[in-house]
Amino acid sequence: MTTADRFLTRPRVLATGGLTTLRRQPLLVVLAVMVVAFQLSTDSFLDPANLGGIATDAATLAIVAVPLALLVISGYLDLSVGSTFALGGLVAGWLATNGHTPAVAVLGALAAGAAVGVVNGVLCCHLGLSPFIVTLGMLTAIRGLAQQLFPLPLSGFGSGFAWLGGARIAGIAAPVVVAALVLIAGALFLALTPTGRHVFAIGVNREAAHLSGINIRRTPFALFVATGAAAALAGTIKASVLDSVVAGTSGSGFELAVLTAVLIGGVALTGGSGSILGVLLGVLFLGGLQNGLTLLSVPTFWQQMAQGTALVAGAALAYFAPRPGR
Amino acid sequence: MITPESSMPSAASRRRFLALSAGALATTALAAAGCSAPEKASASAKPASSGGKELTKIGLDYPFTQLPLYSTLVKLSTAEAKKHGSSLITTSDNANADTQASNLNTWIAQKVPAIVSFPMVFEAMEAVAQRAMEAGLIWVTYGGSLEHQSADIQFSFRAGGTQLGEAAAKWAEESLGGKGKVAFLTDSTIELGRERTKGMVEAFTKAAPGVDVVAQEQAIDPDTGLSKAKAILAKHPDLNIVLGITDAAAYGAYKALQQTGRARDDAKTFVGGQDGSAPSLLAIKQGTFYRASAALAPNDLAAAIVDVPLAVAAGKANPSAQVPINLVQRGDTARIDDLLAQNA
Repeated sequence: MTTADRFLTRPRVLATGGLTTLRRQPLLVVLAVMVVAFQLSTDSFLDPANLGGIATDAATLAIVAVPLALLVISGYLDLSVGSTFALGGLVAGWLATNGHTPAVAVLGALAAGAAVGVVNGVLCCHLGLSPFIVTLGMLTAIRGLAQQLFPLPLSGFGSGFAWLGGARIAGIAAPVVVAALVLIAGALFLALTPTGRHVFAIGVNREAAHLSGINIRRTPFALFVATGAAAALAGTIKASVLDSVVAGTSGSGFELAVLTAVLIGGVALTGGSGSILGVLLGVLFLGGLQNGLTLLSVPTFWQQMAQGTALVAGAALAYFAPRPGR
Repeated sequence: MITPESSMPSAASRRRFLALSAGALATTALAAAGCSAPEKASASAKPASSGGKELTKIGLDYPFTQLPLYSTLVKLSTAEAKKHGSSLITTSDNANADTQASNLNTWIAQKVPAIVSFPMVFEAMEAVAQRAMEAGLIWVTYGGSLEHQSADIQFSFRAGGTQLGEAAAKWAEESLGGKGKVAFLTDSTIELGRERTKGMVEAFTKAAPGVDVVAQEQAIDPDTGLSKAKAILAKHPDLNIVLGITDAAAYGAYKALQQTGRARDDAKTFVGGQDGSAPSLLAIKQGTFYRASAALAPNDLAAAIVDVPLAVAAGKANPSAQVPINLVQRGDTARIDDLLAQNA
């Protein structure tokens, strides 16, 4: 049985092969320790309002982290999400301020994000160019395009557009509901669909997957498009939350934050391994760490050191965690 | 049936793409070269009939290209330069001090006759300015002074912070009886940020010693301002005042306060920032608890960017300029409208 066959016949779900979720997700333990430590030292970390704030902040990260994780599992990478995030918010904001309905604004942003994904997908999947180089170039090019098209800040999008970032659905903030839907969809896709299994197979060994009859270009191409659209949606939500968007700064550094959440969540940068539960933990860990350090009034440079150290520690944990086949 | 040939990326299509890309790049490069062929320095700085030199080209090196003010300044300065028969060229430093030095060295080698530069790190720019001066170029320092320069365009980073801190302290005395809680959104990474922070914090704490400082957090953009303010509010839901070193960060805090249920015109809340950015000016104009912004007028800056090097070239005495920074508050409607028009 080839490696690809193994992944085709056995989806990598949350707990398999006798390993418990806890052993497979050591970040869960780290997260629990972090939560307890922050609560004991601040008394306000577990306040519902604070948890709601963390969840809302983490929502935009999660919306992009899910498709990006799938892309990384399939052996590709998209570094252009930070600029696509900005472009999505700007397109939606521009449409909203020019009299279009919120639905049209969101659709416009999704189309812009998907268009970026199409370019990335064609260049990486069909022409075989390096995803690192292509998406790094797109990161800069899209930022320049956004600043050229929208040199001035956009603001005052109206109450309809504000619904996306500010509404509550069954008591839960709308961005959190959107993120939850994306997480569930990603987990179901990966665990229950043949294409989800193809993602692993392509990431483990592209040639073997190809020889097994998998279209090794179509699935990653679709994931590039999904990642672009998700980044634009996240940017739109953030523009709605802030009721403003600035081309030069919106989403700046977002690509590294998302990639950090994905990698710290146990997705292998080399492809072929990872889970949506891990991605969720990675997103919560980053959001919780940032929030807790602010609550503790830790000085800026110490916060940066703590975040960097946590990333290295998380990566080490993910590396040494037991995985099937190792 | 899927075959390797039909499914794997084809080498032929890659070659075609690379050939097309190379062609496109070459065409773009040629077009760009044609559009911006460097003039000889001698052609850019001609003797004027009045005795000084007439500048036909001015280089504006403003490193913070990500800020909305950059686009506004370039647009206004280009128009101002055109009025005087000059053209304006710009660098693209992307807020990177190394890139800035590299771009300026290129301009010095090109002999761009007049350079107006906003140093990201003033100490590091001294040697570059010296080289420019030794090459016979005009060097105008923007936002401060260097030892080697022809002139400067001064505006005090600290003064904006001081004005904001004093206004917030006065409001705290009048509206909160000198009690309450304040959070500062600061920056310690560049000189502009450090100076604004110092002015803001020192002025406020000196004038309102009874107000508790509950947080000082690094934040210069709205996303960070929003998330930091949310966390601070979780610990201090009765937070009264947020002061930012940028309007962008303060605007994020303004939205965070609103999202925790604070009424837009809450009488016990004060948010203020610096820069005079459009969303903040609109919030002030609408009578919200976003109450103040320390603002520079883009028109004044653009005029100085062109007038100062022209004055140096013409051999005028005291060519430097001092650009005023003013606090804009609720009720300053005409001033706000004027600033918004300049930013449009």
